[in-house]
Amino acid sequence: MPRKTTGLLAAAVVALAGTLAACGSSGGSGGTSSSSSNVLKVWWYEGNGSAYQIAWDQAIKDFKKQHPGVTVQFSLKSFNQMQQNASMILNSSDVPDVMEYNKGDATTGLLSKEGLLTDLTPEATKYGWDKLLSPGLQVTARYSPKGVMGSGDWYGVSDYAEYLTVYYNKDMFAKYGLPVPTTMAQLTSDMGTFVKNGITPFANAGDDYMAMQYLYEMELSQSTPQDVQNYERYTGAVNFHDAAWTNAVATFQDWVRKGYIAKNSVSLTATQAGNDFETGKSPMMLSGSWWAGTFESEIKNFTWGTFLWPGNTLNAGSGGNLFVVPKNAANKTLAYDFINDTLQPDVQKLLANNGAVPISDSTAGVTNPLNAQLIQNFQTVASSGGLAYYPDWPTPSFYNTLLAQTQDLMNGASANGVLSTLQTDYDQYVNSLG
Amino acid sequence: MTAILSRPRPGAGVANTGNRGAGAYLTYLLPATVLFGVVIAVPLAMNVYNSFTNWTGVGPRQWAGLANYRQLLHDSEFWASMWHSLALVAAMAVIPTVIGLFVAAALFDVIAKRFSPRVASLLRACIYLPQVLPIIVAAIVWSWILDPQYGALNVALRDAGLGFLAHDLLGDPHTALLTVMAVLVWFQLGYPVVIFMAALQRTDPALGEAAEIDGATWRQRLWLVTVPQIRPEIYVVLLTCTVASLRAFGWIYALTSGGPGVSTQVPSYYSYQSFFTNLDVGYGSAIATVMTLIIVAVSVVFLWVQRRHTA
Repeated sequence: MPRKTTGLLAAAVVALAGTLAACGSSGGSGGTSSSSSNVLKVWWYEGNGSAYQIAWDQAIKDFKKQHPGVTVQFSLKSFNQMQQNASMILNSSDVPDVMEYNKGDATTGLLSKEGLLTDLTPEATKYGWDKLLSPGLQVTARYSPKGVMGSGDWYGVSDYAEYLTVYYNKDMFAKYGLPVPTTMAQLTSDMGTFVKNGITPFANAGDDYMAMQYLYEMELSQSTPQDVQNYERYTGAVNFHDAAWTNAVATFQDWVRKGYIAKNSVSLTATQAGNDFETGKSPMMLSGSWWAGTFESEIKNFTWGTFLWPGNTLNAGSGGNLFVVPKNAANKTLAYDFINDTLQPDVQKLLANNGAVPISDSTAGVTNPLNAQLIQNFQTVASSGGLAYYPDWPTPSFYNTLLAQTQDLMNGASANGVLSTLQTDYDQYVNSLG
Repeated sequence: MTAILSRPRPGAGVANTGNRGAGAYLTYLLPATVLFGVVIAVPLAMNVYNSFTNWTGVGPRQWAGLANYRQLLHDSEFWASMWHSLALVAAMAVIPTVIGLFVAAALFDVIAKRFSPRVASLLRACIYLPQVLPIIVAAIVWSWILDPQYGALNVALRDAGLGFLAHDLLGDPHTALLTVMAVLVWFQLGYPVVIFMAALQRTDPALGEAAEIDGATWRQRLWLVTVPQIRPEIYVVLLTCTVASLRAFGWIYALTSGGPGVSTQVPSYYSYQSFFTNLDVGYGSAIATVMTLIIVAVSVVFLWVQRRHTA
């Protein structure tokens, strides 16, 4: 074989070997970032104009004032980009110093278990984060060696909270002379009135996270705090055929049958459901506190407010997404300082005034009564130990499973079959944990 | 005679330059070989390896042997997705090929002759237009059209006094797959029409004219005279469309996410869900590996049949 050809083939072999090595390095320890020591790399994926972006921009400003010689390099990522590539990114040498990441076992828990995140426990004590965050909010910040939330070391810090609340159209309630419901009986009566007048009471999205959240609030109405711990943290057996789940699927199907939730919302997304509320098509919507900022800026033709799901002590909610520090981050000390800045009063106030729920329980300086109400309602839930996290957290596949099963429920599938599918999926994952 | 005797022996020249020639060929093949290795061979090998492991996508893989494949055998969602794949083969390969054949013949034989070739070209371009659109863009537009509340289709039905026909087509398990199939036929039709019209250009018009003189109808001429002449193109269309339908992802991703329930789930989307949201990379790899084998097998069968019929 000519020498030239041999050389080219050798180059090809080297290239292939290099590719193999690169592809196969995901389990390795990776290198360390080559960043300069006076650069702080920050990544998050909250959109421009959101309360989080406004508040965190202020945190960057505060950080720059405290560290005049340091350059902050910020990159806006997408949620999908981070969800799908986080492990690959964190294994590389080009990692951010601090980044936003989803809370929960399947995300931060998994990365912490695989050693890709920095243990923030010493910093939590040093900076006093363990005092600033209430025990309910610390649940999603701490992970066991198996990556299960609620105990163990700190691997992230939330500077805001979130929970499910009912948004309601005050003008439509007033038009039909309806009281703001504080009990399930009142809510049912209000819904009946709306249906009689040809109005679908609740906006819903079957092809998104919303339908499963209705189901979960219904389940929580007959659930205990221990049930929640068992479900979310595998502390005990979970029976999907128990009274709480059986009642939840029956109630959910009943509501669809009676038109409280539109049957033709099976294929809708959360954005479409939000539009239904914003346009007054539906006078209520159960969803996360993260909608408040959007509604404040987009709803101009009617007044609205929020109330907690009537009759529940337990309510879906938790600390917000986390700021985490990758194991390979170059400037961890700067990262800790930045995280600490996000917890300071000026940043917290910006969160509160732009429709997010700060970790601080104070509403002092909150100018918009809608935001004050949002914060007070959260404190009502959190202070009574009622935060029940979210229904799709227990297993990585539970979001897809719950979404498909709630769609089936809306289309009239057997409640028993749905519960059995949930049980099988849940048990399969829990058993795999060992 | 002298000239004949002095002519090099057949193959002698090739034999003399054989080593140099082979080396030169290898050099030219090298970039494509490296590209093939990096883009296809290595990822394929890794995918097959991953399918024998339990892996979340982070950390070390755990050898699982055939466990993922055993799970596939008993997974009702996987088998449902395979059946849905057959429906997509009908929607993307069989139906467009049949309709495309008639449309192409009509444009070539009727429109071009009775009106003008320009009109036929214009209509062909219109039919082909969906193929130019990015799949995600077309799918999102269709999801708007089919929106149960504000979509153009349901609003038009209500405005026309046909509100009883308004329906959440993508949200009803009885209509979701059929609706996706209808959209796919709309999208795919242009491809066979363009290929078949090009094929019809090379057919011998004398054969058709002779058949016409002998009293053959248009349909008889199409089936007995034209189709045998364009059989290679039909095979190519069927093969490429079948492979495309087995890999269909974007339409499901943007239109239904596999729902409602799992009524429009397909293997490629199920594999994606396993990889990226269920964090079960081993299982997602097993689905992808099975689909690779099926696609290779389908391709081999098509090529074998094609060679047999066109030899």
